[in-house]
Amino acid sequence: MIKATDVVKIYPNGVKALKGVSLEVAPQEVLVVIGPSGSGKSTILRALNLLEEVQDGEITIDGESLTHPKTNINKIREEVGMVFQSFNLFPHKTVLQNITMAPIHVKKMKKTEAIQVAEDLLKKVGLSDKRDVYPGQLSGGQQQRVAIARALAMKPKVMLFDEPTSALDPEMIGEVLDVMKELAKEGMTMVVVTHEMGFAREVADRIIFMDEGMKIEEDTPEEIYQNPKSERLKLFLSQIL
Amino acid sequence: MNSKRKDLFWNIFLVVFLLSVAAGIYASSKKVDYIWRWNRLPQYVVYKDIQEVRAPSDGIVSVSGKTVKITPPGSRSTPVLLENVKGISVRNGDTVFEGDVLAKNESYKLGPLLTGLLITLEISVYSIFFAIIIGVCTGLARISRNPFLKKLAIFYIELIRGTPLLVQIFIFYYFIGTIFNLGRMTAGVMALSVFTGAYIAEIVRAGIQSVHKGQMEAARSLGMSYTVAMLLVILPQAFRRTLPPMAGQFISLIKDSSLVSVISITDLTKSGREIVASTFSPFEVWFTVAALYLVLTSLLSYLVQLLEKKMSAQDK
Repeated sequence: MIKATDVVKIYPNGVKALKGVSLEVAPQEVLVVIGPSGSGKSTILRALNLLEEVQDGEITIDGESLTHPKTNINKIREEVGMVFQSFNLFPHKTVLQNITMAPIHVKKMKKTEAIQVAEDLLKKVGLSDKRDVYPGQLSGGQQQRVAIARALAMKPKVMLFDEPTSALDPEMIGEVLDVMKELAKEGMTMVVVTHEMGFAREVADRIIFMDEGMKIEEDTPEEIYQNPKSERLKLFLSQIL
Repeated sequence: MNSKRKDLFWNIFLVVFLLSVAAGIYASSKKVDYIWRWNRLPQYVVYKDIQEVRAPSDGIVSVSGKTVKITPPGSRSTPVLLENVKGISVRNGDTVFEGDVLAKNESYKLGPLLTGLLITLEISVYSIFFAIIIGVCTGLARISRNPFLKKLAIFYIELIRGTPLLVQIFIFYYFIGTIFNLGRMTAGVMALSVFTGAYIAEIVRAGIQSVHKGQMEAARSLGMSYTVAMLLVILPQAFRRTLPPMAGQFISLIKDSSLVSVISITDLTKSGREIVASTFSPFEVWFTVAALYLVLTSLLSYLVQLLEKKMSAQDK
């Protein structure tokens, strides 16, 4: 479904954030990316829908190349949902409008149909009663669930999660992870950057460990946790677990 | 002392302070050789306009409804019909001679101060409208990645902000106005909108840049194009934030519009000058003119406050 080959990202100030990272995600697979801060794990995720411009390498999603100059990036982004650490809901729109905006204005869906889709999604994330409030009136956990519903409304083939629970109070992490687990169970292809080791162990099909802009290890959760091979992963796990 | 009583004390102090300032001004104005003639002013605000209808020829009047018929003496001459006459003051059978008053109409008309105020309002409304368009376009160009648009915007903003408005008005009227054959009103409105547009552009730019970068990313990640994301997500949020500085800019524009009087537009300021010339009462006239500007600007800031309250209601 997703294939990235030797992706290189250099910031204008010369910092090399990605030094040739390759990864592959099969349909319906859940890939979790872990690593210390500054390791490039968020950068590679953001590169997967070209929110981060890359200098070298190739990325294809469902067979379509992102990095080809003639690609209509907006078309591909429709197929790739993204959930951010800081939710990024549109504060001037109600919950329902947040979810229906892209389907109506990008997919040209009929308004009644978009509202139907949005209501179904709100039911799924357990926020049907909040459809007409503004994001500012919701808790962090509720906002993130709305953000997930907003991304799902475009019926994406892939969902990218960029540390979705890092900005949340501890008691709200569970509700967001539950929604994500549900999604994984339904067979959504997902790439998740997270510090939630419990979630990674339970849901991930594969885990990638990154450090200093490189992929250090890639394996099943069992192998990563019980049998880490590199010193850096051992150190990271000892700090985080 | 609790804080409520403290507030009361300072409020009373403020009133006393303002009253003593007013008394001081009054006392010092007594010292100069100036006769205040406030009674001369009202006629420049509204005045009674008297229109008279006079008899075109001699004859005997017959009135029916709004029609006046004057039958001249001698059977051969034809009667004169006056239709739709208001305020008829003659009666059936009256004998009138040429030039007599048949009807008298009194109506109240706006004096030069109010017509000037309306001109100022008209110039301001047009200028605000065009300034917003120019300002938003330039603001967007200012943050564009395209070096042509970006540098053009910077050049325009620097050029306008670096030269006096009065000079710009002269250039618009005498130079551009001559080339394109513009009227003074058009030239004045253009100068004001181009001037204010440069300031609004900077406000718009700051407003857009104050919207968190994640908003654009979220919109783009949903497949929206840059333009759609700008229109639906960024600009509405930026608009709300720029409302207070925008209001300040519009108030400035209303006040700056007084400068167009130099190209002979009879706005409030020019009316004031003309009235001073005929009454020799500069003190009264300029105080009144200032008060009328204050009415316009207060009204505007009140409207903006209402809008602000309405928009912030959705926030929290």
